Amino acid sequence: MTLADVPVIPQLDLELRHIRKRYGDFVAVNDVSLQVGKGQFICLLGPSGCGKTTTLRCVAGLEEPDAGDILIGGREVTGEPPWKRDIAMMFQDFALFPHMTVAKQVGFGLEMLKKPKAQIAARVAEVLKAFEIGHLAERRPAQLSGGQKQRVALARAMVTEPRILLLDEPIGALDYSLRETVMLELKTLQKRSGISFIWVTHDQNEAFSLGDHVVVMNHARIEQQGRPDEVLSRPRTAFVAGFIQGNNVLEGKAGLVRDGVLEVMTALGTFRVPLLDLAPPAAGSALSFSVRAERLIERPGEDVPNRIALRCITVEYFGAFRRHVLEGAGGTVVKYDQFGALPQSIREGENIVLGWSLDNGVLHRAPPA
Amino acid sequence: MHWKTRSRLTGWLLGTVTIGFLLFQWAPMFTMFTLSFSGENGGTTFPMNGVSLHWYRNLWEADLFDDFKPPMLRSFLLALACSATTVVLSVCAAQAMRGRFRGNGLYFYLLLLGLMAPGILVGFGFAILTRLLGIEGAWNTTAYVVHVSWALPFGFLTMLAVFNRFDPKLEEAALTLGATRLTAFRRITWPLILPGVIGTALFGFSLSYDEYARTLFTSGSDGTLPLAVMAQLDRQLTPELYAIGTATTAMSLIVISLCAIGFWLRARALRGSPT
Repeated sequence: MTLADVPVIPQLDLELRHIRKRYGDFVAVNDVSLQVGKGQFICLLGPSGCGKTTTLRCVAGLEEPDAGDILIGGREVTGEPPWKRDIAMMFQDFALFPHMTVAKQVGFGLEMLKKPKAQIAARVAEVLKAFEIGHLAERRPAQLSGGQKQRVALARAMVTEPRILLLDEPIGALDYSLRETVMLELKTLQKRSGISFIWVTHDQNEAFSLGDHVVVMNHARIEQQGRPDEVLSRPRTAFVAGFIQGNNVLEGKAGLVRDGVLEVMTALGTFRVPLLDLAPPAAGSALSFSVRAERLIERPGEDVPNRIALRCITVEYFGAFRRHVLEGAGGTVVKYDQFGALPQSIREGENIVLGWSLDNGVLHRAPPA
Repeated sequence: MHWKTRSRLTGWLLGTVTIGFLLFQWAPMFTMFTLSFSGENGGTTFPMNGVSLHWYRNLWEADLFDDFKPPMLRSFLLALACSATTVVLSVCAAQAMRGRFRGNGLYFYLLLLGLMAPGILVGFGFAILTRLLGIEGAWNTTAYVVHVSWALPFGFLTMLAVFNRFDPKLEEAALTLGATRLTAFRRITWPLILPGVIGTALFGFSLSYDEYARTLFTSGSDGTLPLAVMAQLDRQLTPELYAIGTATTAMSLIVISLCAIGFWLRARALRGSPT
């Protein structure tokens, strides 16, 4: 497919078309396509080494993709250097210039645009005030705390009001106690500024609470993308279901399809899982599906179609919920989460039957052959 | 006793060796320094006959110093040129190593081979080569090239160490903020590697300034200071030579102290003055 065949959509802040990047024999990014509408908050989520940071660096122009096109604001920039792209980037360890004062580094981007000195000074003062770091203007990075560094890095990146802000694990270097506050602030900032954020993280809580659109990556490919609630409630692959906390992934073989419901034979027994929009798989082919741990029902009634006999191994209390780890036939482990401060109803070592209603089973796409 | 606590005996032993080493390192210079202040009838060995500035005065007034002035100037200019060239080449070579390229391992070892090569052979070999090519040796051409090739591995190693500790994310941050590569180098990289650059410059200067073996065959008819000193030693040894040595050492110490003060001021500025 050549560029001429594809209509350029100018209202998109960013478009990636079949990006591919390899280092020697290692494929870091494989056929990644992504569309980012105006002023969106995108989270690239995945384990380390999945290609999310390389994808981000391709957008920044710090890496050159081997194939594919990158369009920023509808303009093809694939071969352009970073300084000609309408972006800014925030690095995990903030990458503040150690030899520059806060005011100097926040003004750096404006200096590069060759703005007059007076204008730079005014704008820097305004931005420092907005980020509540005006009193730090004459300090150097070595004299700042982690949270202050984060604000300076953000102010430095936002000062030129780029079209896209790229954030590489931007709060990974902060103390846990700070992260939640900073996350909220950043979300508000993104909404108010209308700048698209592309946020790389391995932390699913960050991704699902911040993103308008979550992109889950694994082994250089996009596994699934969509709204956070979509991805959470309907993981499309076994990887996504396993990566998101609180899912039970069960593997088995396809059986018969009746009324849009597939029978799946697993080590734990035969279960009925809705096909939804998936094509019926060939009988006997390997597949997987998932059930969220909090959707299991204790001692289900006769009307619940899917039932498993299990033995409870451990019970852990996390405060917000109680997690039960149970074992079934063939050593398959099943998790059951009980929310709400209810009294413990299953003891360790106890045998129990758990079940789930038909619509709580989520069938996965067949793995690529 | 805790395993991290040094025993008294070990402490004394290590202390003695350390102080012994420092004495061993500085004693020859100190001897020369002391003898340069000996009286008018003083010789070139102990005991000193009186204390005076006679030999310094002599040095300033006598013809001997006129013999030394041109080589001294030549050595100074040569060292400056060698220093500047070493800085440029070392920074470039170390930058090249950062980028990785085909055969960068070989390149690394070939550059460092300059450290191992015996100076007298390098000088002699180079002299043969230039004669073969019909090039007349001179202090500011052939000797200059040989001096740079001698100082380069030291500068290269220094700059490699500096870039090892340099965070490339800083350059990338500058690029994403709209700086071109040249601007990023000028505004971010250069100021941050400057201490290493000054170190490299000092290496380049001092290695060239006191180089004898490599200069002997390559400097042509107009010699450098080490050659002149050596020639004078062959002719006649007087405390004046000691005075020359002391004067030049003092000069070096002053330059190094200035650099050290500069580094200290800079480090304080980066930390921020305590308020």
